[in-house]
Amino acid sequence: MKKHYRRSVIMCIGLICLICLPPALSHAGEPAAENLIARAWDYMRGNTSVSVVHMTVHRTDWERKTTIKAWTKGRDHSIFRIIAPKKDKGNGTLKLKRDMWTYNPKINRVVKIPPSMMSQSWMGSDFSNNDLSKADTILVDYTHDIVAKETDREFTVYVIKSVPRPDAPVIWGMQQLKIRSDGVLMEQAFYDEDMEPVKILTTTDIRDIGGRPFPRQWTMRSMDAESEQDYTLLEYESLTFDTPLRDSLFTLNALRKPAR
Amino acid sequence: MEILMAWRNIWRNPRRTILTVFAIAFACVLLIFMLSLQAGTYEVMIDAAVKTRTGHLQVIAEGYNENRKIRKVVADPDGIAAILDQAPHVTGYTFRANGFALLSSEHRTYGGMITGIDPIRESLVSTVPATIRQGRFLGPGDENAAIVGNLLAKNLKIGIGDELVVLGSARDGSIAASVLRVKGIFSSGMDEYDRAGIQIPLSHFQEIFAMGQAVHEVVAMCDSLWTVSRAKAAIRERLPEFSGKHRLACLSWDELTPGLVQSIQMDLGGGLIFYGILLVMVAFSIMNTFLMAVFERTQEFGTLMAIGANPGRLTKMLVYESGFLTLCGIILGAGIGCLLTLWAQHTGIPMGEAEGMLRQYGIPSLIRPSLSLVTATAGPVLVFLVTMLTAAYPAVRVHRLKPVDAMRAV
Amino acid sequence: MHLHISWRNVWRNPKRTGIILTAIIIGAWTMLVFGGLSRGMMASTLSNALNTLTGHIQVQSPAYRDDPVIENQIDNPAELGKLLDTTLPGDARWAFRIQVGGVASNARNAEGITIVGIDPDREPGLSFYGDSLAQGRHLTPDDGHGIVVGQALVESFETRLGRKLVLMTQDADRETASRAFKIRGIFRADMEATEKQYVFITLDAARKLLGVETAVTGACIKLSRGSSRNPVDLADLDRTVRALSEKLSPGLAVLSWEQLLPLLKGYLAMFDSFMLLWYLVVFLAMAFGLVNTMLMAVLERTREFGLLKALGMKPVWIIRNVLAECVILLAIGLAAGNLLGIGTVLAFGSGIDMSFMAQGSEFFGMGHLVVPFLTARDILAVNAVIMLLGLLVCLYPAVKAGRITPVEAMART
Repeated sequence: MKKHYRRSVIMCIGLICLICLPPALSHAGEPAAENLIARAWDYMRGNTSVSVVHMTVHRTDWERKTTIKAWTKGRDHSIFRIIAPKKDKGNGTLKLKRDMWTYNPKINRVVKIPPSMMSQSWMGSDFSNNDLSKADTILVDYTHDIVAKETDREFTVYVIKSVPRPDAPVIWGMQQLKIRSDGVLMEQAFYDEDMEPVKILTTTDIRDIGGRPFPRQWTMRSMDAESEQDYTLLEYESLTFDTPLRDSLFTLNALRKPAR
Repeated sequence: MEILMAWRNIWRNPRRTILTVFAIAFACVLLIFMLSLQAGTYEVMIDAAVKTRTGHLQVIAEGYNENRKIRKVVADPDGIAAILDQAPHVTGYTFRANGFALLSSEHRTYGGMITGIDPIRESLVSTVPATIRQGRFLGPGDENAAIVGNLLAKNLKIGIGDELVVLGSARDGSIAASVLRVKGIFSSGMDEYDRAGIQIPLSHFQEIFAMGQAVHEVVAMCDSLWTVSRAKAAIRERLPEFSGKHRLACLSWDELTPGLVQSIQMDLGGGLIFYGILLVMVAFSIMNTFLMAVFERTQEFGTLMAIGANPGRLTKMLVYESGFLTLCGIILGAGIGCLLTLWAQHTGIPMGEAEGMLRQYGIPSLIRPSLSLVTATAGPVLVFLVTMLTAAYPAVRVHRLKPVDAMRAV
Repeated sequence: MHLHISWRNVWRNPKRTGIILTAIIIGAWTMLVFGGLSRGMMASTLSNALNTLTGHIQVQSPAYRDDPVIENQIDNPAELGKLLDTTLPGDARWAFRIQVGGVASNARNAEGITIVGIDPDREPGLSFYGDSLAQGRHLTPDDGHGIVVGQALVESFETRLGRKLVLMTQDADRETASRAFKIRGIFRADMEATEKQYVFITLDAARKLLGVETAVTGACIKLSRGSSRNPVDLADLDRTVRALSEKLSPGLAVLSWEQLLPLLKGYLAMFDSFMLLWYLVVFLAMAFGLVNTMLMAVLERTREFGLLKALGMKPVWIIRNVLAECVILLAIGLAAGNLLGIGTVLAFGSGIDMSFMAQGSEFFGMGHLVVPFLTARDILAVNAVIMLLGLLVCLYPAVKAGRITPVEAMART
């Protein structure tokens, strides 16, 4: 199964290279910012991805750990399911484009998140429902510029300033991304229209996961949190890319079915 | 001597005296009744706010009132209960827990406020059980049952027996979820609460929101509004014993709903202007009586002065006269006023067309004035001061009389 | 002839007359001033409510009122528009709107609001949108991404003119829809709640956001008589509502403001009866003095009346004489009172700034500026109450005077 799939992966990567690299090379060996981002996003997600992540929501007086299994396919299909602790096991979230549904096994119900709740926190973390449902907007709603280059060991790290297109439905004034030349996302900072940082996502502990160098730890901090100790940490336990996933996995029916 | 003369004098013209007494009495009756009515309305407004939401006193984690985070709990409600059992003037208390969650029916999903309540104790403290419009209130046997605000029920398109899904974040960060059955629909009259509030049994709330034994509010009622501060002081003294991770605070109703106090102050201010105008009218109405009492008797005073009565004595007599008049009026007015107020207090005053509007402020359709020492005496005292002030002018004028001229006067 | 005698009688004791006249004047004055102030407050409350998007009449789908979502739309607004143009009186104004709930968000905040899609050409003059702009400019019809929001919202979102606001709502297919807008204008309203609640975008922008082609959720109609003094001409309103209901297809509901805001109607009715009650109370306080004064005037003339009686004058004549004195007193008092009262009301014609008790007036849904005014009816009511009831209570001393017998009169000293 894996083998038969690998071919298509190679084809895809080849295609991506074909599309991305030539213009990147044409600018005096400097990659175009949007290609860097597109590549980083695809790098993070592959064609499909299956991962197990430990999420730690930390507050000064309190902490909670959850283990989540996530499947993604393409840019706008994803489904998350809690596998631990036991109490929350089986809770799921399905995200299709901009819409989100949540499923709870105890009551066996699917509830669609109404627009009014999209800015609320996702499962008590520093991520909002919007952060999840609009994760791809950087690819379509922004224009990008490389503003600086840093060096991190043997890699070049591109600092990219992404400004939303004039009429794009995004709330940020600007995002600043740090992307390593091999496609690893190092930092994503969200700024308001006064260019004050609001939230910062940083990645650390880059190691070989899922067959490529990948940051194991992702930390989201809100700048207006009650304390500097408040953060949400995602730690990858496992990650595999480009496993074939059927479209039927990303449906309300699949959301209702027990965790795999 | 002057007293007797004064008393006789005022009955020399009984008709005039009676009319003047009536004017004074009228002002007294009106003031007593209106002040009692205002007091009654305020009591009802406070009562409504206190009984639907806040209670007279609450013991909560410090800061919970400003930022209702689910983790700011009262961890040991039984310990607080022990304090309340011993605290003076506390007549009852109950526990509540609140959470914000998605409320979802078959057709709609809204964010809403879930309150876990103790079905038996709640009715000691709250009027919500009495505002059930359809179905019934929660009972001790209920588990995943809910009563829903009428506006919320309308928005969610649900009725009695329908399912309501709750999905939110529990205290420990886990996912709180439950399917509830709608047992009743309440209409507290406070639109904000009726639009977003549902109530479920506290035990079920603690289960789905992983609260353990903890609650968010210990809500207490006192025997009257006036004893609240004393009870609060007694409770505050003992709170530090129970402050665990979150420091506890004891707040009274006026601290919990500051807007209410402001609107009462404004209404009272408006009322005072009306009373002022009324008093001025009464003063002018009776001024004639007092003036005439002097001028039509100019001759008489002249004679009295000629036979040796000094102006001071005359003034004294006149003051006694007006004093008698005023006292008669006030006693009559206070009597009628109190009786009228008591009667209205007993039967209540229907508000008719304005009912819907008043209900918004939590005022029921029947308003009962509330007679108290303050409302019964404030009016008469004011009337007394104003009439005596009015009477002072003619009484002083007497000084200027000269016996010879006076005796000549017609 | 009597009048001449009565006139002289009135001035027999100028001090006494002066005092009772003062009472009457103060009575009439306070009634008028209070009445004017109440009228001003009522008109302010009402026009505020009507201006806050209610208008005089609304045409909408019958289900929309209970469930204001885009599904309960008017499918064929063009047809309705034609009908409105032909049916409404010439000086009436109307405009289509799309009004649905949604969420506004920026990097700092997200809050529930009401999205109002308006026709930028027609909306001014219909609601407060037209004349409450504090900063920036109004929307233009082709402005697909412009938004006009309230000052309080701007503050709670820590934003300003030219900044972005993302609106999110559920579209016609029940899917989450969002669209970015730039703040073009900032309005101020009398009430903070209004500033936080409503955001204005163009009809076309709203249609694009909601994924509909031509639909609107309703039409808002304002009849011409919408002056600040008299926000509603009831007869006009009734006539128009009836005419519209007859012609409209059964799939649409015509709602007058009284149906849209039943609570306000009850509140105004209560205010009205409260005013009448106030007139009566003030009158009663005044009546005691009036009766007493007349009684004194009559009793000190016992001998005179007795003599007249002995000379063959009929009791009715005496009663008429005394009443004529009353009328003179009341008329003088009223004339001066009216002058003073109307003068006071006119003096405050530029309005009384109520912002010193902003929170309180907001509580009653009233504007910050109250312009007291009096209608002819109010002035008539005050004068009628004082004159008619005044005559009524004066009957007592008059009859008393009529009953005086010559014997009785002579017996008195």
